[in-house]
Amino acid sequence: MELKGNSMVAEGSRHGQFMKEALLMGEKALQSGETPVGCVLVHNDQIVGFGMNDTNRSMNGTRHAEFIAIAEMLQSYPKSELQSTDLYVTVEPCVMCASALKQYRIRSVYFGCANDRFGGTGGVLSLHSDPSIDPPYPVYGGLFKEEAIMLLRRFYIQENDKAPNPRPKKNRELNTSFQNGSKEAPPTW
Amino acid sequence: MARMDVEKTIRDLKPLIGQVVPIRTMQETRPLEEFGDAFVAEVNVKSASKVIKALDAAFPKDPSLPLSHLRRFAKREILPPPLRAAIESQSAPLAAPAQTIFVLISPPLPDLTTLKTLLAPFAPAATNETLDETSNSDSPAPTINLHSTTIPLCPPFNITQAEAWTKSLWPVVFNPAAPRSTVAPPPQTLKRTQESIEPRAGYYISLARKVAEEAEQSGLGRGVGAVIVDPAIEEEITAAGYEVGYDNTTEWDEAVLAVAGDARYSRSEAGAPSQAQLHAGIVPNPASKTYNADVEGGPELHALMRAVDIVARWRREHDPLDDVPASTATADPLRPELEQPELSALESYFLYRHRPDTFTNIPNSSHSPSSPLKRKHEVPNPESDLAIDPSTDPSQSQLPYPPLPAPPPSTVILGDSSALATTPAGPRIRTRSQGGYLCTDLDVYISHEPCLCCSMGMLLSRFRSVTFPRRGRLETGGLSSEPVVTPVADELDPTVEAPASAVDGQDEKEYYGLHWRKELNWRALGFEFVEDDDVEVKSEAGMPVFHA
Repeated sequence: MELKGNSMVAEGSRHGQFMKEALLMGEKALQSGETPVGCVLVHNDQIVGFGMNDTNRSMNGTRHAEFIAIAEMLQSYPKSELQSTDLYVTVEPCVMCASALKQYRIRSVYFGCANDRFGGTGGVLSLHSDPSIDPPYPVYGGLFKEEAIMLLRRFYIQENDKAPNPRPKKNRELNTSFQNGSKEAPPTW
Repeated sequence: MARMDVEKTIRDLKPLIGQVVPIRTMQETRPLEEFGDAFVAEVNVKSASKVIKALDAAFPKDPSLPLSHLRRFAKREILPPPLRAAIESQSAPLAAPAQTIFVLISPPLPDLTTLKTLLAPFAPAATNETLDETSNSDSPAPTINLHSTTIPLCPPFNITQAEAWTKSLWPVVFNPAAPRSTVAPPPQTLKRTQESIEPRAGYYISLARKVAEEAEQSGLGRGVGAVIVDPAIEEEITAAGYEVGYDNTTEWDEAVLAVAGDARYSRSEAGAPSQAQLHAGIVPNPASKTYNADVEGGPELHALMRAVDIVARWRREHDPLDDVPASTATADPLRPELEQPELSALESYFLYRHRPDTFTNIPNSSHSPSSPLKRKHEVPNPESDLAIDPSTDPSQSQLPYPPLPAPPPSTVILGDSSALATTPAGPRIRTRSQGGYLCTDLDVYISHEPCLCCSMGMLLSRFRSVTFPRRGRLETGGLSSEPVVTPVADELDPTVEAPASAVDGQDEKEYYGLHWRKELNWRALGFEFVEDDDVEVKSEAGMPVFHA
């Protein structure tokens, strides 16, 4: 299912408000040199966990935003409360996080842009709906999709001096266009 | 467990006897039919882009079946002659064929009625007369004719094949940059890696089971254990063995970087006691008798994810990023460290022990500088000017673990080269400044098939390979790609209830073969360890289905 991120309805809605908070987390990630993905967990209309990608600082490639937000939530809530909690995340959860969210029994997931390289909720695999020992969860994509993509583009135009072999990107310019089918996330994500 | 006891435990470990078998990829277990059914429909050429948009919006593609080698449109004159003849035998060409184009509708094939309705607005006009709104409204509504055809489902190997298919089936593009090798590991790489892990895999799985036992007996987790190994150190040990002329496979544990056990019951949530605290002194933890999601902790507490984090934690303690001082990094309230239990005796032993000098001060003549497994740290990383001595880093004093002494500088003579190179006479884990990055080029061995989350975490950590015993296969696993006949760990006790799926051969389990998926950016080699006595083994009766 796709939500229209730029309509007045969505921007003013509670979904839009929560996704804006997730985008702010993505912005913080960008400022600290992390892949700019942010998320919030919402329980009874309250944000109970903030997360941003943390792989570079932690030197652990599995520290995605979703895990950080869940860790924060579990400081105040038991795991069972995730069954009445929704996730708002700027980029479609990867295969790892899609499985983790199912094991944690998240109620539903709202994401910004799709992730056709690692996506686990429709991008590559559809773990949210595949049969398993944990129940499926609904996923809604497309909320503030362009904002989420711009965060990623701003990140990938930088050189990654953390990588073993950084690629020079001096001549790249930030693409701000969303015409001609360029609405997909940058291919490096 | 005291250090001496740990060392005795390791010395007493008996390796599993059996063989290492590659896990086939999804594409290997389900070889694509070379050809599949498709439809061709003639549409108004001016609607071409709308047709594509409508089709893509209405019918999802199968990401495991990329068909980018097929052209989406073909003009009548470039249709393959057999297809063109078949089409024209059903419907004569319009007088002005230039106004139409043929679109390919490829698998997964949609429902015919839905497809016709979707395409109806783009049907070619019934006549070639100049249309205007009034005359159009009088003529019968244009309809879509769907023609069945056959298409090649795999990209062509070469341009000759592409041309042959273009002439006989449907216009095909040859893209030399999309090799089919992504569907399975290159055979030479697979063989080389298999040969490299075979001599010691039985020991590592045996150790993983010992770690699993420790986790279960602590009450902190289920009985799952993981072992991370550096194949570059294995190669050094092997080379040293050649030097002294004896088989030193028994010194297998020198290449182990870290071990970790499952700890899903260790976490306190919302300030309440953890499952381990609730059932203190009762092992295995009673929670492990069933699968209750509410008390299963989370996948970051599974053995593989913990092992990955233990390596990362070691680097955070010993090798802080130059632009993120450790003191401020750990204090960042936005990015708290995930709560992890204290290291167990085995975990702590392997993470914080030193390499004995006997293995680092050996003449290394058989270690060719061109070896593919040549340790990256032998060449100083030009990207990094980091030279922090852990023993002088003030942030070390706040760490919960005693700082290690600085690695003593040591030199080895590399073969007949006179160049001096630094090797880690102390810790085994390569720091960032030595080229260490995540778990790149490392191998992981685990007592059970890792769950989907851990399998993807393995890929994101850039492991070279992952190996688990076939007996540790799990219904929730993310790596296996096809059923086996031999019992797996979580099958129901056959004496209690015959597993209908195994009898019928209709296995309902989803297989993912996540270690090597062409759709994913990262891939690793996957192996199962098949024990020689596997055929006689009964499954572990009463074990609930769970995520490892």
